[in-house]
Amino acid sequence: MIPQYKALFAFLIITIAATATFHWVMRNTGNRKPLNPEAVSKLRGRFAITCTLLLVAALALTLPHFPYPRGSEIPDKVVFVAAKQFAFGLSEAPIANDAQWEAASQGPAVRIPANRLVEFRVTSLDVNHGFGVYSPGGTLLAQTQAMPGYVNRLRLRLRNPGRYPVLCMELCGMEHHSMRGVFEVIPADKD
Amino acid sequence: MTSARIAACLAAGLASLWGQSEVSPNQPPNEDLYLYHSVPDIAVQPVGKPATPLSGLWRDRPLLITMVFTRCAGVCYPFLRSLRAATELAAKPPSGYRVLVLSFDSRDTVSDMKAAASGIGAGADEDWIFATAAEESVRRLAEATGFWFRWDGEKRQFDHPAVLLAVKNGRLVRLFAGGRITAESLGSVLRDLDGGFVPSYPLADKTSFRCFQYNAATGGYSLDWGALLLVLPGTIAFLAALLTFRPWRRRGARAPFPAA
Amino acid sequence: MPPSTLAADAGTLRLRRNTMLWALTAMALFLVSTLLGLFLRLFQGNAFPAVEPVWFYSSLTLHAIIMVGAWFLGSMAGVHYLLARYVQPSSTASELAMGGSVAGVVLIAISTLLGKFGVGWYFLFPLPLYPNGVWLPWATAVFFAGLAILAVFWLIWVLDLLRAIARRYSLSVALGWHILRGAKEPEVPPLVLITTVSLVVVTAALVAAALVLLLFLLHWSGRARVDALLMKNLTFLFGHIIVNITLYLGVAILYEMLPAFAGRPWKTSKLVAIAWNAVLLLVLFAYLHHLYMDFAQPRWVQVAGQTASYFLSLPAAAVTIFGVLALIYRSGFRWTMASRLLVCGVLGWVIGGIAAVIDATVAVNSVFHNTLWVPAHFHTYYLMGVVLMVLAFFDHLSRELTRPDTDVRAAGWTLVLLLAGGYGFLAMFYYGGATSVPRRFATYPEETLQGVIQARVAAAFVVVLFGTLAVYLSRVAARCLRAFADCRNAS
Ligand SMILES: [Cu+2]
Repeated sequence: MIPQYKALFAFLIITIAATATFHWVMRNTGNRKPLNPEAVSKLRGRFAITCTLLLVAALALTLPHFPYPRGSEIPDKVVFVAAKQFAFGLSEAPIANDAQWEAASQGPAVRIPANRLVEFRVTSLDVNHGFGVYSPGGTLLAQTQAMPGYVNRLRLRLRNPGRYPVLCMELCGMEHHSMRGVFEVIPADKD
Repeated sequence: MTSARIAACLAAGLASLWGQSEVSPNQPPNEDLYLYHSVPDIAVQPVGKPATPLSGLWRDRPLLITMVFTRCAGVCYPFLRSLRAATELAAKPPSGYRVLVLSFDSRDTVSDMKAAASGIGAGADEDWIFATAAEESVRRLAEATGFWFRWDGEKRQFDHPAVLLAVKNGRLVRLFAGGRITAESLGSVLRDLDGGFVPSYPLADKTSFRCFQYNAATGGYSLDWGALLLVLPGTIAFLAALLTFRPWRRRGARAPFPAA
Repeated sequence: MPPSTLAADAGTLRLRRNTMLWALTAMALFLVSTLLGLFLRLFQGNAFPAVEPVWFYSSLTLHAIIMVGAWFLGSMAGVHYLLARYVQPSSTASELAMGGSVAGVVLIAISTLLGKFGVGWYFLFPLPLYPNGVWLPWATAVFFAGLAILAVFWLIWVLDLLRAIARRYSLSVALGWHILRGAKEPEVPPLVLITTVSLVVVTAALVAAALVLLLFLLHWSGRARVDALLMKNLTFLFGHIIVNITLYLGVAILYEMLPAFAGRPWKTSKLVAIAWNAVLLLVLFAYLHHLYMDFAQPRWVQVAGQTASYFLSLPAAAVTIFGVLALIYRSGFRWTMASRLLVCGVLGWVIGGIAAVIDATVAVNSVFHNTLWVPAHFHTYYLMGVVLMVLAFFDHLSRELTRPDTDVRAAGWTLVLLLAGGYGFLAMFYYGGATSVPRRFATYPEETLQGVIQARVAAAFVVVLFGTLAVYLSRVAARCLRAFADCRNAS
């Protein structure tokens, strides 16, 4: 299951539980009875501890899954990405100026071997953009910001061959929605 | 540095004379162009040891390669000395590493290389390997890494950049070009070799007040002046609260509330 | 609360009049901005193929600024009114803020609607400096001028409320430190505690906003090259906090209002004091979750961001939620429209909070950042959270000041339609986020065409929501107007 659906299901389950609890309490607000303060405080303690434990567990489970590259693996390929209003230029050669960006954004799609580790070196030549990598089927796979003055290194290993669109994930102006880029993942043996 | 620059200018002049249209032939190689490329596994002849392929040197630990010629009156020796000094200053990664000083001059003999080794005080260092290689092999290595050298008949010297290649398992991980190696830049190279990774790096420009400054020697970030601007709002808010409440005022001075 | 308008003194009348004016302003702005929101969703549903996208982005900017502004001010007005039970906030400060807000919003409306300035409400550096001929430099200048006016006048109001609290309470009492030490006296109402925490934090946010404007000017004038990462940090320090604190001001209102319906006291217990002091510590760092996808932030900062965001949910939300449920359970709770809105508002806050915590997870943020999941979560705790809480206050106060007959049954239907419209609209945002639809797209590319259908369905729910709101708010507004007129006639 894609991580988006996992998150959605986790959200729905907790939300339904919370709503059910609210509903039950709201149904039981009538017939006034004084509460036993000790029982309330005991329950409150338990609730606080449960919440804390859940949060600590979630923290421990998710912190190791940072999307930032780390580790000793050497990428098989570097792709340089320069974002500029309103296109992504992807190229195997560094993109340092507008002319190179134009050539890269209008040239043929960069080809990437499947199942190989690729490092995208993402920067922007003007405003902030977001480098959002989508699968050929339209699922957001990963992203990093394209910020002027910085090069962000995003590493990906893509399994399925196909044309991968790149959409802009940061409002960057009037054509933000039509800003895009593309690269092609080809079967590994062809490269 | 200066001699390298003069050499580079000369090379540029020659190139324009001959009408060569190669991509910036006078420039030191651009790291971005060669990053993560495979390094050809050429055979080298180290001083006092049997011949070995490069893979024999990078198999168990990372390898730093620099290419020189022993009759160099320019950048080679200052560069080697700075590298030697930097290796003594920079923290050694747990796995260690080797340094290969390879001659690209076919006139250099093994004994020339031995003399060069003792010249910079690395003759007895096991991790420093001075070697020669066949002309064709050197050319292959140079081509794969963007290194270049040209004979200048007038100066009777080679024009060439000073380059340090960092190789891990046969792949080029870093390429450092410049007249001198500092402990800081070597530190960043070693960190990359050791598997450390910087997810992002700032581009060189004249930006005022950054939040964080990447420190190449330690591989960590330190706070920069911009970080001060970041804590400023919180600090001002705290001071505003103190000024409003004035906790140092005596308790009796606080106005009683009429309706309370 | 003094029931009779006629018996009130001039100061009280002025306070009531101002509060009614704030209620009318906030509700009017809310309706206008809801219409803008409807336009945005219709646009994304390809309802206006002939309209240029520039109108989408400038409406988006205006919609967000109005919503953030209207509810920050609405909750400030509520807190101001309720604080007057314990301290004496200055009506002049509130009136100044009213004048400044009107001026600021007018300037921003001019720059967005006439000037086509569409960079999003937090105007991320350096986009405003890249007009590309779409908007003229004057639009940028007018927008920044409007923002500067808002920042200054809001700061005056914020600092005046703090001053009023400081006249009666010492800082340690206002923050409940004596309760932390185990003392019971002097008593400090949760309203005062939460408001103090919120106002201190809001001061930081407004200072950050001023800094952002200053750095923009420095960069614009060519005197410095400003670092985009620093600007983004400062922008979200301001943007995140102002939204976050609006919520807390709504919660302060909740703490003050709910006990009256439950017939039980809700005092500042040790746990409540711990919770809001923890908020004071953590809330300045939670904004870091907006920068997870900036790999340039050091790793430890990202860890700090996730940790702060996670644990910020614990004190404020967990303590308050439990408090609310324990307060109303078997209390013989008096259900009115206002008390229903309050409890539903808490539920909305909870649901939005759950979605927020999920999105504040770095590993998840990698596929949720700047998708529709983001507007999903903040619309939940805004629209179905703090807006309901503040509306509860307006509803209750206007009813109290005019004493009309209450039609409980009609109120029930209003609530059902409100929730159905609201949550239906939100569901499309959540679904959009889970199906990778990016946020802030005027139209959708072929990869995310599901966004078009979602936008149309959402628009239908917004129509229900808007219709219900228009009917309900016009009733509340009529009462507010009557109360406003009564106060003016009496004084
Ligand atoms: Cu963009």
